[in-house]
Amino acid sequence: MNGGSSNSAGGAGDGASKLLANLPSRGLLSAHVVSSNMGGMRVYICDHDTSPPEDQFIKTNQTNILIRSLTLKNQKSDSFKKDAKGSTSNQVSKKRASDRALESKAAGKRAMSSTRLGSNQERSQSSVPDKDLQSLTVEKLRALLKEKGLMLKGKKDDLIARLRGANG
Amino acid sequence: MSVWNYVVTAHKPTNVTHSCVGNFTGPQELNLITAKCTRIEIHLLMPQGLQPMLDLPIYGRIATLELFRPHGETQDLLFIATERYKFCVLQWDAEAAEVITRAMGDVSDRIGRPTDNGQIGIIDPDCRLIGLHLYDGLFKVVPFDNKGQLKEAFNIRLEELQVLDIKFLYGCPKPTIVVLYQDNKDARHVKTYEVSLKDKDFVEGPWSQNNLDNGADLLIPVPPPLCGVLIIGEETIVYCSASAFKAIPIRPSITRAYGRVDADGSRYLLGDHNGFLHLLVITHEKEKVTGLKIELLGETSIASTISYLDNAVVFVGSSSGDSQLIKLNLQPDAKGSYVEVLERFVNLGPIVDFCVVDLERQGQGQVVTCSGAYKDGSLRIVRNGIGINEQASVELQGIKGMWSLRSATEDPYDTFLVVSFISETRILAMNLEDELEETDIEGFSSQVQTLFCHDAMYDQLVQVTSNSVRLVSSTSRELRNEWLAPAGYSVNVATANATQVLLATGGGHLVYLEIGDGLLTEIKHAQLEYDVSCLDINPIDISVRIFSLPDLNIITTEHLGGEIIPRSLLLCSFDGISYLLCALGDGHLLNFVLNTSTCELTNRKKVSLGTQPITLRTFSSKNATHVFAASDRPTVIYSSNKKLLYSNVNLKDVSHMCPFNSAAFPESLAIAKEGELTIGTIDDIQKLHIRSIPLGEHARRICHQEKTRTFAICSLKYNQPSAEDHEMHFIRLLDDQTFDFISTYPLDQFEWGCSILSCSFSDDSNVYYCVGTAYVMPEENEPTKGRILVFVVEDGKLQLIAEKETKGAVYSLNAFNGKLLAAINQKIQLYKWMLRDDGSRELQSECGHHGHILALYVQTRGDFIVVGDLMKSISLLIYKHEEGAIEERARDYNSNWMTAVEILDDDIYLGAENNFNLFTVRKNSEGATDEERGRLEVVGEYHLGEFVNRFRHGSLVMRLPDSDVGQIPTVIFGTVNGVIGVIASLPYEQYIFLEKLQTILRKVIKGVGGLSHEQWRSFYNEKKTVDAKNFLDGDLIESFLDLGRNRTEEISKAMGVPVEELMKRVEELTRLH
Repeated sequence: MNGGSSNSAGGAGDGASKLLANLPSRGLLSAHVVSSNMGGMRVYICDHDTSPPEDQFIKTNQTNILIRSLTLKNQKSDSFKKDAKGSTSNQVSKKRASDRALESKAAGKRAMSSTRLGSNQERSQSSVPDKDLQSLTVEKLRALLKEKGLMLKGKKDDLIARLRGANG
Repeated sequence: MSVWNYVVTAHKPTNVTHSCVGNFTGPQELNLITAKCTRIEIHLLMPQGLQPMLDLPIYGRIATLELFRPHGETQDLLFIATERYKFCVLQWDAEAAEVITRAMGDVSDRIGRPTDNGQIGIIDPDCRLIGLHLYDGLFKVVPFDNKGQLKEAFNIRLEELQVLDIKFLYGCPKPTIVVLYQDNKDARHVKTYEVSLKDKDFVEGPWSQNNLDNGADLLIPVPPPLCGVLIIGEETIVYCSASAFKAIPIRPSITRAYGRVDADGSRYLLGDHNGFLHLLVITHEKEKVTGLKIELLGETSIASTISYLDNAVVFVGSSSGDSQLIKLNLQPDAKGSYVEVLERFVNLGPIVDFCVVDLERQGQGQVVTCSGAYKDGSLRIVRNGIGINEQASVELQGIKGMWSLRSATEDPYDTFLVVSFISETRILAMNLEDELEETDIEGFSSQVQTLFCHDAMYDQLVQVTSNSVRLVSSTSRELRNEWLAPAGYSVNVATANATQVLLATGGGHLVYLEIGDGLLTEIKHAQLEYDVSCLDINPIDISVRIFSLPDLNIITTEHLGGEIIPRSLLLCSFDGISYLLCALGDGHLLNFVLNTSTCELTNRKKVSLGTQPITLRTFSSKNATHVFAASDRPTVIYSSNKKLLYSNVNLKDVSHMCPFNSAAFPESLAIAKEGELTIGTIDDIQKLHIRSIPLGEHARRICHQEKTRTFAICSLKYNQPSAEDHEMHFIRLLDDQTFDFISTYPLDQFEWGCSILSCSFSDDSNVYYCVGTAYVMPEENEPTKGRILVFVVEDGKLQLIAEKETKGAVYSLNAFNGKLLAAINQKIQLYKWMLRDDGSRELQSECGHHGHILALYVQTRGDFIVVGDLMKSISLLIYKHEEGAIEERARDYNSNWMTAVEILDDDIYLGAENNFNLFTVRKNSEGATDEERGRLEVVGEYHLGEFVNRFRHGSLVMRLPDSDVGQIPTVIFGTVNGVIGVIASLPYEQYIFLEKLQTILRKVIKGVGGLSHEQWRSFYNEKKTVDAKNFLDGDLIESFLDLGRNRTEEISKAMGVPVEELMKRVEELTRLH
């Protein structure tokens, strides 16, 4: 496809000279003295504590990936409804696109989960989980507050606190 | 041997599997980090070269290694995942010089099929997440929060089951992976996915590409501004991104490794399976890719990893040959290669086979390995100790002493070599033709024995004889001054330096002289109670006394005890610690640490170096001072990590040594031994010495024949892939001194050499080489045909004496009761060596035993046969003479896939299996029932973390009969990563003692990255994980010696044993390897 390449079977062609020009250099290994005796390396003796900080001992979420995708879809359809009711900002429409992609992937499982979905849908529409509140924009939070007839002023944290108070 | 085994590494892994470059040890420091299976080595790039920094032992086999930098960090962090599903993130704390664990975790899943194509661990270029592909159909994500901390990991279902490679794409607003996979029709495609951290799921990515090269195997993500990915196939290379697709055909090759050259990702180095190095260039106009170019640069070792360092210097890590440091030159050399090899780093891996021999007949084993693979195949001679390479030698009988002298004080080189005999002194010098010639120094007395010589100030030389001290000008060579010994007394011993002379005469007189310009002045005279036996500017009698100069006051006296007269004394300093070495007449050496301010002698230690009197001399090599102890078993004493180490020298019976640094032979030693004076240079001072014999082909089996002093190897040579015989197999005969091929027997097409043995048969005095082969046909799953070939070595040629066709591959051959025992596919077959009527010989089948899947490894002892099966662990067979039959006696009912077996003693057998474990089984001959007797009981289990290819009885060190470790039997093993290890069977008491020490050490010495030693050493395969038993980790135990004082005291308290005692016992163990 590319005519410029030479793939001679023998020794390297001359073309490489041009391509090898200006190899990156930071001035290291400039005066190379054969020095490193790889064998004579100090062995690290680790006699200090090596346990990681408490919260940095990482475990895997044990939720089965199928169950998780179902619950995810649940939440999503919840928030989807909410979004549909609330506002129609750009962000939402973007989200919907990704939702759709996800849904089409999990389409096969849908029939199975439809009953559960149905029952969940009957739950209060406005009970957005606390975690999700944090991820919503101020604009959306305000929309939620308006829905509940609460005050719309204040910082984001205040808005969330107010919403939580109303939900709780 | 016994069930209580101690496993220790004699040669660390050298197979470089991963490497990366980054700022790990400091924001301004550039490091090369290499992974060698269970070890990580950190080097610092300096203007003058690569400087080794640290060697980190890891409690796990490193599966992936990546450097990354989370937002807000000034230096890179190191991410490691091990094959047993642990991972850790390490950070270097420059202040404390410690490796800190930033995070660690377990990423195993209870359900899941481990991937076939190796584990993948990748980090998003924007540090949003770590991606791991460990099980088919699952992609594990460890997300970062915005502070660079890791959060709980989760799995995402990956539809592609046969994944070949996964990489993160650069420059994507959402973390995006590109997956190279094979579908169920064996076609290969790439696909991209965005990782949605919020939904914990994949979202279809921006592009995909179907039906790629059938050999596509490697993805190279291209950094901004170009972005996209390179897909490396066997016949094409493709650049792919959302907007562009460029392809280029290449000469058929399998690319094994790549290294990015430029930060903008426009140039890459590719290393293929033949060791060719190519430069791949992405040509582009601004940010638009216009095409690809590829150029051959030259040849290197077959690369497993390539890291561009700086200034055209590249590190090529190899699994099949030596790793290299290469420089890319702008202009090709005469052969058209742009590659210049700057340095080679020895790699023994893969050790396919080895044998233990004593080539120099010194009573010390050497290991000769079949190392390397493909074109990088070689033989390696691994010897404990230091070699002297002979440069010149003269026959001279009865040398009593030797000294080298300079012709002027400022001269950097030695000119004269003074050789003293019982009644004369001769002087040798280098002439203009660089030959050693006898010469004269007129001022020296040549009719008597010289006791000591030295260069002195003011261009003078000092000679001490039994009746005088002579001061001679080194330029005019005339006598300038003389000090005569008192009448009636003769000088017994003397020593001197440039300004001082110390001598002792009979009657216990000690005299101290000072050297002036043409003047010798007696400064002090002391009368001792005893005669002096040796001096080193410090006198000695049956006790050691340290006197201060110039007053000759006694400072310290140390009674040596015993009857043995000390013969040589030396004060020296290594690593800033002063030592007093005192050699005794019986081959023992005492060493003390000398406190230079108080002159106290502490830490008395005694070691046995030989059986004859020792003479000590210092010499320097590569700017370090070492001590040469001349005796029947000459030894070099040197210091490493502030410990004194003793290394054997490949010479015997050296009576005297002196450094002789002449212009023609720089840094040489003059050595007097058995009627010979030799001048030679000394190898690098290190514990194991490795000599490489490159073969250019892959040696697979080796054996040594003492009688003909030859080695025979089975080897295979790869030709051009287009040629008809693309693989050719040979039996080669090599001289055991020169390692030249002296004879070759080519095998048939498709015929592989599988086993080789040197043996003799009953009723026949000849020694034969027996070779077992297999015809490996492309259409067969298992070979159905093979041969046993019997050769004799005549006039340095391999002569085929007999051949016998077999119904399968001859995996193993053993000498057995004067007959030949062969393992042929699932059968064990015994052959007799029969004389035919016409006088020729043939192999005749006697009896056999069926009942194995594949009998791969066989060892025998007496009438017992131990078989290591492909997948049915170890079984024990017995040969019944009366019935002429082989029967099964017992077996281990576990299903271990064996890689090597060895018989430790009558009842205990050692096995290695393919999950990197070791185990021992015991014959249960006292069992009450047949069922019990028929079962081999598993008595020891241990995770070695290395794939063992061969066990052999033997030892790498000289076994001195009077040392404690001399009685401990050992087995040596060789592994794929180039490890040579030792398994030593300990007495029960010692085992219990060391087991307790190991338990305590586990609490003191932590695993790097928080990995647990106990878990690491637990026996582990798909079916079970059980704690190690009846095996001890010698590497952990011996690291006790490297601990600081307060740590050793802490341990000594916990053990209830004094520190010195503990030190002594552990030091003794280090002498096993």
